[in-house]
Amino acid sequence: MEFDEVAQVQTPDEAHQAGSSEQTGFPSPATHYLESRIDLNKILTRNLDATFFIRIKGDGYRELQINTGDVLIVDRSMTLARGKLAVVVKEGEFKIIRIASNDTLDNMEGQILWGVITYIIHKV
Amino acid sequence: MIALVDCNSFYASCEQVFRPDLWGKPVVVLSNNDGCVIAANKEAKALTEIPMFEPVFKIKKLLIDNRVEFFSSNYTLYGEMSQRVMNTLKLFSPGVEIYSIDESFVDLSNMRFVDLHHHGMDIKETVYRHTGLPVGVGIAPTKVLAKLANKMAKKIAKYDHVCVLDTQAKCIKALKNAELKDIWGIGNKHRQRLNNRGVFNAHQFAYEVSLDWVRKNMTVVGERIWRELRGESCLSLEMLPRAKKAIGTAKSFGTKLSSLDLIEEACAYYIAEVSEVLRKQKSCAQYIQVFLQTNYHSERDKQYSKSITVTLPTASNNTYILTREAKTALHSIYKPGYRYKKVGVNLSGLIPQEYVQTSLFDAEIPACRSDLMKTIDKINQKFGKSTVSSALVGNRMNQWELIKNDRSPRYTTQWNELLTIDAG
Repeated sequence: MEFDEVAQVQTPDEAHQAGSSEQTGFPSPATHYLESRIDLNKILTRNLDATFFIRIKGDGYRELQINTGDVLIVDRSMTLARGKLAVVVKEGEFKIIRIASNDTLDNMEGQILWGVITYIIHKV
Repeated sequence: MIALVDCNSFYASCEQVFRPDLWGKPVVVLSNNDGCVIAANKEAKALTEIPMFEPVFKIKKLLIDNRVEFFSSNYTLYGEMSQRVMNTLKLFSPGVEIYSIDESFVDLSNMRFVDLHHHGMDIKETVYRHTGLPVGVGIAPTKVLAKLANKMAKKIAKYDHVCVLDTQAKCIKALKNAELKDIWGIGNKHRQRLNNRGVFNAHQFAYEVSLDWVRKNMTVVGERIWRELRGESCLSLEMLPRAKKAIGTAKSFGTKLSSLDLIEEACAYYIAEVSEVLRKQKSCAQYIQVFLQTNYHSERDKQYSKSITVTLPTASNNTYILTREAKTALHSIYKPGYRYKKVGVNLSGLIPQEYVQTSLFDAEIPACRSDLMKTIDKINQKFGKSTVSSALVGNRMNQWELIKNDRSPRYTTQWNELLTIDAG
């Protein structure tokens, strides 16, 4: 499966990180400047309990810059705003829409909001 | 005040979150061993002919004729969705007691200045918005009353799934309308007894039956219910999960098995499953029970079922020790010439692992052994269930495992099974 590789992004096990000697050698000049590494899980998902991943099959959403194989990060807890992409349900089917800047948010024309798309994971 | 939050037809609702084509349609979920209906949503329950706990082969036609969607149970999904609900509840109070996979008590005792009905509505709407799961909320001064309020929230349409019993008058009225069977913890036997004394509703039980009678006839358990119904809180919230006292598993085979070696493999697989749970909760088992049975639904098969319980020389949670004991036990109850439907194992007499008493002739359990278990657990967690297992488990699972044909994808835990939108 070509999608599998994305799943291999994993946080390194702490036991497998290089340590430094406390007895010998020079103290690192970076000692007081160390920060924890960037963790995509924290950055891309603000509320994990309301976050779902959805895969797209087919090229019907090209005009929204969503291609086949892409994975959407969908946050159900986010409020919908103009210009956002959203997953909605219309007549029992999932659809993706962009809320145009002149749309009134309460007029969804029979579409039920399922979640707000926050990021699109695109494999290159 | 305490809130009881429970998910409406939880298993079916979990399936529906990811299947909008099934919104408003009848859905049932089948157990993974006997193929019985174990859950049905309200649309399915409205078709009253669907009997719960009936083997599915007897009612499959009924389901299809009524266009009921049915799923094999997908506990991976339900467990994960349950965690989402419980975590979301923690936004409302630090005191959350997970009572079951779809029910939690929420401590609202520090919310003196909030409008409780409004708060209950907020809980309901937030859980739905975050997880897609509908819940009912019952709020009352005690657990038993909260449970009753939750029942009312579900039953009476005008409450819209949130019911608050925050005054004495409301509680009294609720009790007068509640039958004894609606009260948490009053079983059939006690109900009969109370009925014989002319007690039919909860109000009569709480205010007309004397405490002496309750104590004498219903023990301290009954006394607590009696007090709680009167608004006196006796059951505190248990925030830490209780360690299990016994743990077991038994699933039907995909096809009937006669040969011992395949049954052995299934048995070893179940031991691996349950001993992993033991290690997770840091306890050891003193007894191991193994049972074997034929299909009692079948009229043409010869019937045989037997169970054996073995006391372990030393309490253990080591997969290899337990597998060895289970194998010996299985050999002693297996009889050739039958077509077996199910093998099961049950570990009991669970004690915390630090209290394990070794026997006089035991070498101390070598540390490397438990390191081995730790390593195996880690590997299996990382790379998937039974990546590493004992040799006895073998690799012929497809010959005994029940294929779950109608199981939905594990949408939230497997990258290869994500919810997919067709953009054709």
